[in-house]
Amino acid sequence: MTIEYNQSLLASISSQNPDVNAAASQVNQYTEMCKAGQISREEYAQLLRDIQSQINIQASMAELDAMETLNTAINGLITIASLVA
Amino acid sequence: MKKLLSVCVFFTLAGCSVVDAYLMKYDGNEYQIITEIRRDAQAYKTSCDDELTSTVNSVALADKTRLFMLFSEHYPHNEPTIKASIELDKIAQGLKTQYTNGGKVNPLFCKIKFESIETSAESMQKVIGAKPR
Repeated sequence: MTIEYNQSLLASISSQNPDVNAAASQVNQYTEMCKAGQISREEYAQLLRDIQSQINIQASMAELDAMETLNTAINGLITIASLVA
Repeated sequence: MKKLLSVCVFFTLAGCSVVDAYLMKYDGNEYQIITEIRRDAQAYKTSCDDELTSTVNSVALADKTRLFMLFSEHYPHNEPTIKASIELDKIAQGLKTQYTNGGKVNPLFCKIKFESIETSAESMQKVIGAKPR
């Protein structure tokens, strides 16, 4: 398994989720920085792990956001139902 | 029609109790800490060329992300924020370790790390600020 193979996997990613595309682009950018010697391999590995952390943060926040929207909708419907009743 | 309305009211009320039982309400302290993390990361990324200052900054920010993680940890019905705070702390502790281990830290690496913390803190701040009052 080569760096080029993994970069070709990155290039094949075309998600409807802009966060996924942004993450793929970021991974590619860090890979190029490492190949060019701008960052060390150790730094490169840590930055890739950070991208995984950022994806987990986005997923958790999307879940919370959905819960908040659900809560807002339910409270709105309760208000409407109370007014009608 | 009235019967249908009663059924609707019953289900909406039942739904409300379910959601309220699984969603933490807005907490001003939680919002303040995540705002401070974002502000600090935004300011600290501009000092990455100064290693001594960045060492102090990385320790200060890692202390703040740890505070945020511990603050969120035992709040009931706060699982998404707890998970996110753990991940944010990982990013900050990684930079602190690089500086405190004594090796030379690349200013570019420093800038990327602070930017990652800033971006993540901003996305968390946005959702935490929208928690129900």
